[in-house]
Amino acid sequence: MDFSDLLIDAGREMFAPTTAAFALAAIGLNFHFGMTGLLNMGHAGFMLLGMYGYAITIREIDANDGMFLGIEMAAGAQIALGVLVAILVAIAFGLLLGWPTLKLRGDYLAIVTIAAAEMVRFVGRSQSLKSLTGASTGIRGKDYKRPFESLSPFPDRQIELGPFTLHGSQSTSWWLVLVAWSAVFLAALLFWRLARSPWGRVLKGIREDEDAVRSLGKNVYAYKMQALVLGGVIGALGGVLWSFGNSVAPDSMGRPTTFWIWTLLLLGGAATVFGPILGSILFWTSLLVVRALANGLIPDTVLHPTELEPFSLVLVGVTLMLLVIFRPQGILGDRRELAINDR
Amino acid sequence: MTVRTALDTRALVRAGVILVVTALAFTLYSAWSAAQPDAADRTFTVAEASTGFVPMTDDGAPADDAVDDPALIDDGDEIAAPVASSRATNQLAQSIVNGLAFGLLLALASVGLSLIYGTTGLSNFAHGEQVSLGALLTYFFATQEMVSLPLLPWEFNFGFPLVLSAILAVILAAGFGWLQDRFLWKPLRKRRVGITQQMIVSIGLALALVNLLQWWIGGRKVRLSIAIDKRHQVGPFQIGNQTLISMAIAIACILAVSAFLLYTRLGRATRAVSDNPSLAAASGIKVDGIVRLVWVLAAALAAVGGILLALYEQGSSFDAGSRMLLLMFAAVTLGGLGQPFGALVGSIVIGLVSEVSTVWLPPDLKYASALGILILVLLFRPQGILGRAERVG
Repeated sequence: MDFSDLLIDAGREMFAPTTAAFALAAIGLNFHFGMTGLLNMGHAGFMLLGMYGYAITIREIDANDGMFLGIEMAAGAQIALGVLVAILVAIAFGLLLGWPTLKLRGDYLAIVTIAAAEMVRFVGRSQSLKSLTGASTGIRGKDYKRPFESLSPFPDRQIELGPFTLHGSQSTSWWLVLVAWSAVFLAALLFWRLARSPWGRVLKGIREDEDAVRSLGKNVYAYKMQALVLGGVIGALGGVLWSFGNSVAPDSMGRPTTFWIWTLLLLGGAATVFGPILGSILFWTSLLVVRALANGLIPDTVLHPTELEPFSLVLVGVTLMLLVIFRPQGILGDRRELAINDR
Repeated sequence: MTVRTALDTRALVRAGVILVVTALAFTLYSAWSAAQPDAADRTFTVAEASTGFVPMTDDGAPADDAVDDPALIDDGDEIAAPVASSRATNQLAQSIVNGLAFGLLLALASVGLSLIYGTTGLSNFAHGEQVSLGALLTYFFATQEMVSLPLLPWEFNFGFPLVLSAILAVILAAGFGWLQDRFLWKPLRKRRVGITQQMIVSIGLALALVNLLQWWIGGRKVRLSIAIDKRHQVGPFQIGNQTLISMAIAIACILAVSAFLLYTRLGRATRAVSDNPSLAAASGIKVDGIVRLVWVLAAALAAVGGILLALYEQGSSFDAGSRMLLLMFAAVTLGGLGQPFGALVGSIVIGLVSEVSTVWLPPDLKYASALGILILVLLFRPQGILGRAERVG
């Protein structure tokens, strides 16, 4: 096996759009869990809804010859509308989830969010909505990527930058890398600013002791709802970014995806600004390295190539367990700040 | 906690009323939708669903299900006639029977989940893997094909008879429950790791186990028994031999567990721990021993549930249990978290809802509708059907 290739692959994985998309989604989860202590186990549902919202909007405008309500839409306007729809869908989903559960104990929220995310996936892959969501095959990339790719300032060919080669504007491109990491940067900035605002302090108070905050006259329910919706919207945007590098497919946003986001958030350190970003980079890079090493070093008779995927996911699961038991604050976190407590 | 509070009469009446009202609503709705002109395409989807298959990978789909069901003939014109009267098999009756069978099997798994929650406070997300483990261990011992273990290069087969394999599988699965409590959960309790942290640990464990099972068995669907199930026509519905036997075993297991919980000293101690662990410890009950017992019992019940479910659905796969996990949680939450009898009622409601919903919803949405019921119930009765009204916030 060739170690220089492996190094280049690992380097590419560090700044890949997928890494950025997951970092963004993890920042959303950080609003839920790190800041407010909400156990959202259905984050993939927010991501999937965001993707559907964006992709279906663009596809329908496209089918309508770029017209929306009789107005000719430029590519930028189409993207804005798609993102707006994704945000609105995520807001509605957050409100719907929070309504029955935010007054209950934390494990209820966990069960309901995971159930609701699976419901979204079931409905998305249902044959009865094939014309809208494309059932289990999902929506093809070329149905919704065009407006985004047409805005690319980069040339329409492979561009070499140091040891890395990516396309200028199509699919997993330099353009997407630029946009995705800018979005991550903005979201991290938002988190940093909000965590230091009076609003963020109330949320942290809810995380530490809900009753104390309630006794100060704050409407805990409303604050939790705002955090749930805000984090969900960021998750949905993460989903949209992810779909630019891949395609909209319901089964890629199942429960394992949510667990990955949890793992990488806890790895980097919940309740920190850079935790989700560092976690995402470490998670995806080490997953790639482990797979490559296992593929190259363990003989096929012992570990068949088809068994690599489950093998690496076993490692992810074990990592999550060990992290939560021995270092719940992750790499960057502060143990005193993050006591995952019983609520 | 006495027998009286475990089986609160008012709660039972309430559960009964809910069941009757839902059944009435379903009957009315199906009568109404049968009168609609678009009933023809509905009937077809129902016939597909009534075979009890999960609409996932059914590559090994046997041909013996419902081939004699006229609705399976693929032209819509013939079936456009009024649904209920044209055929001996009534869709609604059939789906209610399927729902009951499915609910009973689900109950086996969710009673254990509920017991664990009651005694330790843990929402165990790795319980679904116990269900798959039971089914896959049975396959491992019973199959005539060559099987192997992860990381070992040898292939071998046992080819034991089904019943022997099932018993072995249940014993091994129970042993796994013991191991889990001995080497994972007890140390965690000792370290005073919080309940929420333990829940995330169980999620990590679930992720690791489900992939370990996939690594071991592969992604295909496996069948425990290649025997063709004989189906009987009983009044307005059909039922297979295997389903009947499965239901009987399930009922026997549930009765045994109920008798254990209600009438034995250990069962009473279990309920005491689940009511108030510190008080139970203070009155001389060995809480850790009870929790260990509950883990073994829950793992064994889940394995039995997994085996029966694999027979009922004519196949199992590495993710059979994890797909059921949310339905189990829905059942447990519906019945009231930590109430073993609530889990039973909740499972039957979930089984009925998921099967009966196929009368008018597409069959691939049946799990979605069961989860929808969960969210609705949480809105109006957060403590569940049998739960005592207390502050859960």
